[in-house]
Order: sequence, then structure tokens, then C-alpha cells
Amino acid sequence: MNKSDDKTLMERSLKGDRHAFETLLVKYERPVYNAAYRMLHNPDDARDVTQTVFLKVYEHLDQYDPARRFFSWVYRITLNESINWLKKSSRQATLEQDTADQGSGPRQQAGQAQIGEGIQAALMTIKSEYRAVIVLKHVLGCSYSEISEVLDIPVKKVKSRLYTARQLLQERLTEQGLH
Amino acid sequence: MAIDPKYVELINADIDGEISSADRAAFEAFIADSPEAQALHAELSAVHASLDSLPELDSPPHLKHTIMASIPEQNEGARSTPGAFLQTLFAAPALRYTAVFAAGSVLTLSLVSSDIVSQGAFDDMTGLVGTISDQIPQGPSIQTTPIESKDIAGTVTLHSSGPILIVDFDLVSSGPVDIVASYVDKKVWFNGFAQLESPGVSVSAESGRITMQIDGKRRYALYLHNAGDRDITIHLQFTSNGEAVYDTDIEYVQPGHSG
Repeated sequence: MNKSDDKTLMERSLKGDRHAFETLLVKYERPVYNAAYRMLHNPDDARDVTQTVFLKVYEHLDQYDPARRFFSWVYRITLNESINWLKKSSRQATLEQDTADQGSGPRQQAGQAQIGEGIQAALMTIKSEYRAVIVLKHVLGCSYSEISEVLDIPVKKVKSRLYTARQLLQERLTEQGLH
Repeated sequence: MAIDPKYVELINADIDGEISSADRAAFEAFIADSPEAQALHAELSAVHASLDSLPELDSPPHLKHTIMASIPEQNEGARSTPGAFLQTLFAAPALRYTAVFAAGSVLTLSLVSSDIVSQGAFDDMTGLVGTISDQIPQGPSIQTTPIESKDIAGTVTLHSSGPILIVDFDLVSSGPVDIVASYVDKKVWFNGFAQLESPGVSVSAESGRITMQIDGKRRYALYLHNAGDRDITIHLQFTSNGEAVYDTDIEYVQPGHSG
């Protein structure tokens, strides 16, 4: 993640350079969509959240703090929007029901796609604050310090959340016969 | 026996590739003598590997175009009315209508005709803009064709409802683009044009050839009367400044004729 490039593009976007904003969009569209999808487990919702994220970024260009890295601002908006989306649509309860209804077939019967779905289903059963650290670490490839910056929490708390999240996931995957 | 939290943290740091060189020696010495720590390391490593195996997904092909078409030309204008264009976006034809179709719901469209769908053909007409609203039952989608170019992107979905074929355009363009839908079967009639909160779209039609314009985000539909439930191929050509920027065919094959 090149901080200076993003900063330059942000400055140009702020001056009304649409091409600069489009360059940022191209760079971050896919990770934002992936993060939203892993938070929401619904492609339509992920698409809408991605759209909202970039429109909010554009609308609040003048509120961007150049001391922060651009990606941490965008990812924070993405996670907040995803969590808001879950609250608004009350999908959380439905998703938890959906995942509870999914079978727990033995691992040897599960194809790679089923394993991926099983992991995603397990992700949807844990609290969004835990899912957020998993998404930052495993989907967006952030380091501890980057996660700390995005979520604005101490690194020590990042470590403890990641540990708890993985323990919860390990339990769920075991229940599903995937571990 | 519970593992000292300090070493639990080091186990996680090792799995995440974030253990410091200063801690590594102590960690390795501890884990070598602790079966519990080795078991925890193995369990957490398996979860880590599973999470890393999640595939990276492609974002929707026309999302970038949709976003760029939704932001105002002048940034200063956007900041002068905070929230304005976000509200505009969500008041505009929403991407979520796709889901409405998928649910097989009835969609309200403004339709150009004094009837819901005329029994006759509209041929040789120009400059028509939809004004009348009514409910059109949408049949299940037959096929969805992605449109992807630097000038225009989105989807064109074909529906069938009795003798009516509905060609549903959900597109966004970076500038003015002409769309020509043409077909050779003279027994297929242009039967109407509908637009969903996309005012200002005009359409002209002559036998076997319908022309529309798009600039920005638009959602509208063509209605074709397909007497006798005939197989039909509709050629779509998109031009910008007189140059072809994309073309594709969409095909309707009556049930039982496939293959």
C-alpha cells in the first residue's frame, strides 16, 4: 500500500480531479468489495456497501486526515458501513439461522467450495467486531499495527480479538466437521 | 494445564508472521517442551490456513462505472450540499431492482402506450418518452448479458411474459451513447418502451430497428410483441461519437427449442 501515491491521488481528487479519484477506486474497489462480502455474505449487499463507501469517501474528501493512511480510512468506512448494513437490514439473525441450518457433513465429503462456504458460514456466526479483525487480517492482509490503525484500538487488543475470533471459528468449524 | 497468556500471544504472533526476533528464541524453547502449546499452535494454524484459503472475489463488472456515474462532475458542488448526491443515488433507479426481478415480483414501470401493452405495433415512431405508469408482470429472466466496455457497462436481461418479450436495460455510460436494437424477423413488433425513474430517455423505432440514447445511469425496457412465440435474435450495438464501442446478440429460444 503506497501511502504517498494515495495521498497524492487524494489531494488531486480534492481539487476535483475525477481521474485521480477513479484511480483510487480502481485500486481499492476489489478489496473493499471482498471485505464487505465477507462481512455480509451477500453479493448484492456487498455491492451496495462498496458503492456507498466510495461515495462517502468522495463526499468527505475534505475531511480526510492526511496524517492517516488512505487505506485505513477506506477500510474503516467499509467495516462501519457493513456493520450498519447488518443492523439496518436485521440480517444478522437471519444469517445466524441460515448457518445453523447448514449441515455438518464430514470433511472428506466436502469439496473446496463447500469448505469455503463452511468457513464463511462460521464467520457469520461470530460477532461483527471479531469478524472485522478476521477480515482485516485474512481478506485485506493487514498487519497488527494496520488493524490497530483502522479500528483505532491498541495493538494488544487487536491480538486478543484475533485470538478470540480464531478460537470461536475453530469451534464452529469443528462443529461443522470441517476441522 | 493452561498455557501462560504470554506464550499464547507468541503462538499467535508466530502464526501471523509477526513474532520479533527477540521473542523467537524464548517461544521456540517453550513450545518444544509443551505438548499443549504444540496442540494449540496446530489448531490455530489450521484455522489460519482455512481463512487464508478463502478465494478473492471479483467485484461486479460495472460497479466502477456506476460509482463514477454517481459522483458529481465538480467536487466543489458536491461539498456545497453535503449528502446531496448520496440521496440522489438512492432515489435513482437502484441496483437492487435486480433482486426484485430475481424474486419474480411485479415491477412498476412507466410505459409508453395508452394501454398496458398495446395489441398493435409501434413502427416508424420517433422521440417518444415514457409517461404512463402501470404494472407489467415480469416473467422469469431468460438470460442476462453483461455489457462491459470503457464507455458503457451493466446488464441487459431478457424476460418473457406471454407473447411479450421484455428487454431490460440496466446500464451506466460515461457519456452519450446510442443503442440500436435490431432484429430481422418482421413478425416481431416493437410494442412499447418503459423507463424506471430515468426521465428524458427518448426512443425511435422503425421496422426491425429501435434506437435509444443513454447518458449516465439508466434503467429501461423495450417491449416486443413476439407473435407465435418465435425464436428471435436481437442484435445490440452501442456507439459513442459515431464509433461502435460494443456489440452483442441476445437470443430468445422458445421453450423446447433449446439445444
